[in-house]
Amino acid sequence: MKKVALKIISAAKIYAPTKIENLDEKRLVPHMMTRRRLTRNSKVMLYLSDKCDFKDGKIVYGSCYSELDETAKISRSVLTNDILSPTAFQNSVYNTAPSYFSLINKDKDEIITISSGMKTSLDTLKTAALQALVSKERVFCVSVECINIDKIQEINRCTKYLEAGAAVVVEISDEIEDAIEIEDSKMPDMIGSLQDLICVVDMYEKGIDKILIEL
Amino acid sequence: MSAYINNYELLCNAGDVESLMQAIYAKESALVIDNTYLDDASAGLGIMEYDNIFNVLERITQQILDKSNLDNFHNTLLIMGSSVGGMQECEDIFYRDMSFKNIDPMRYSIHVLSDYLQEKFAFYDSRAISTACTSSANALLLAKRLIDVEAYDNVLVIGADGLCRSTVLGFHALGVLSNKRCTPFDTDRNGMNVAEAVGALLIQNVKVKDSVELKGVGASSDAYHMTNPDPEATGAIRSMRDAIADAGIEIDDIDYVNAHGTATLANDRVESLAVEKLFGKKVFVSSTKAITGHTLGAAGAIEAIVSCEAIRNSMIPPQAGLKNQENKNINVAKESVKMDVSYVISNSFAFGGNNTSLVFGACR
Repeated sequence: MKKVALKIISAAKIYAPTKIENLDEKRLVPHMMTRRRLTRNSKVMLYLSDKCDFKDGKIVYGSCYSELDETAKISRSVLTNDILSPTAFQNSVYNTAPSYFSLINKDKDEIITISSGMKTSLDTLKTAALQALVSKERVFCVSVECINIDKIQEINRCTKYLEAGAAVVVEISDEIEDAIEIEDSKMPDMIGSLQDLICVVDMYEKGIDKILIEL
Repeated sequence: MSAYINNYELLCNAGDVESLMQAIYAKESALVIDNTYLDDASAGLGIMEYDNIFNVLERITQQILDKSNLDNFHNTLLIMGSSVGGMQECEDIFYRDMSFKNIDPMRYSIHVLSDYLQEKFAFYDSRAISTACTSSANALLLAKRLIDVEAYDNVLVIGADGLCRSTVLGFHALGVLSNKRCTPFDTDRNGMNVAEAVGALLIQNVKVKDSVELKGVGASSDAYHMTNPDPEATGAIRSMRDAIADAGIEIDDIDYVNAHGTATLANDRVESLAVEKLFGKKVFVSSTKAITGHTLGAAGAIEAIVSCEAIRNSMIPPQAGLKNQENKNINVAKESVKMDVSYVISNSFAFGGNNTSLVFGACR
């Protein structure tokens, strides 16, 4: 199996126990109708892309639970025989957040969405590495979980932070010798699906800008 | 390194690979008209005969292993493509209990399908892709690239989606669900049929008897609208162009376009335009969703298998259900065409303007 070195160009993370405040939506999405349709995952992803100064190119997005709020809206409508919202349905797919990014930034490049359970952000990094290797371009690698839905306490056993995300812009480095494996450090009470990417962001913030990753 | 599709299996509303191809060549739709999902209307659906999707996955994966040159999957990467994952089971619990309480969060998401197979077969590694209706097409795209860069020798790609109430009602809410068997590329088409399926393909870096090469892959985003395709078809054209360029062949080399062809007004109009602009009338086109329905995240894998069968059988699949062709500037196959099929391109398009095209080539 093959390992490659990834150079981290920029990185960002954000999280909150219930709801992340001030995602700067009005500046990032000036068009009001588009802004009103955005899901929470989309807003967090747009915020992280801005922090990483990424506007155009290949995206690998990861989310274990994805658009839980939209899915819950659909299920409740079915249960109560209410009219199902077409917007809720179109917003319920796992690639909703990067698709809104693509619409807003007119980014016509490839989008891949990973949902690999608690290793989602690791697989997102692996896939971003593959995309960077094949294209020789910079790739935006981002994972988001927004699970702050009504009655989430009935099933939430995995995190203290109901909204969280992390992102890096990466490119392939030919200098594999000084690349470092992702550290085995876990952020307490953070959902498992984001742990690896948050760890990479933390490594970058400590001055480590080259990681080794198996494809 | 080249990527070869060395064996495959599927289960859909028409049955297994052999039954599906018989139905396709005979233009016998396996879609049914159902009155149980919608209160006030009927819907054309593609329904499999099965007990639960996990058993189908296990059986099909075992069949692939038995037919392969492998003793086990310990050196194989599994890539699962699905749009709903474990939602079928979870929504049943929610509608029964009217509460989330008895839902296991680890049985909800996309990875539940790949995790189940990981536990049963001990793959080297597994990952799950979910880009709505391009999920398993994108899984194939990644598999090809992983073999190209010599990261893996063997990749098993599976596309799987079970029918969910939320999906049927969701497409109904969007006004794109047909109340009859869908008729892709027909002037009088009135929408799509939601369906379910499991399709699996073993991709390897070695050629065996009856291999079909996964020759090229391409992908793009429309950046136009969340559900409607770009009316100029720029995204669809780009994904096809990129796949053909990746295959190292010319546009004129393509013999058959296995279309996304959902039979919605918007998709078929735009995809026809894309085919017209790129190929004119030089290639045969058809959509096998007239037989299978739209199997959502499984569609890329199912239609990859159909594309391989078209090459192996030297027979272009005809368009079922077609009476009045809307776009006369493309060559929709009215009947099966017996010919040497060297290259097939298969399209998958999804919500968010996510486009993926795959080129399959004969190994002669």
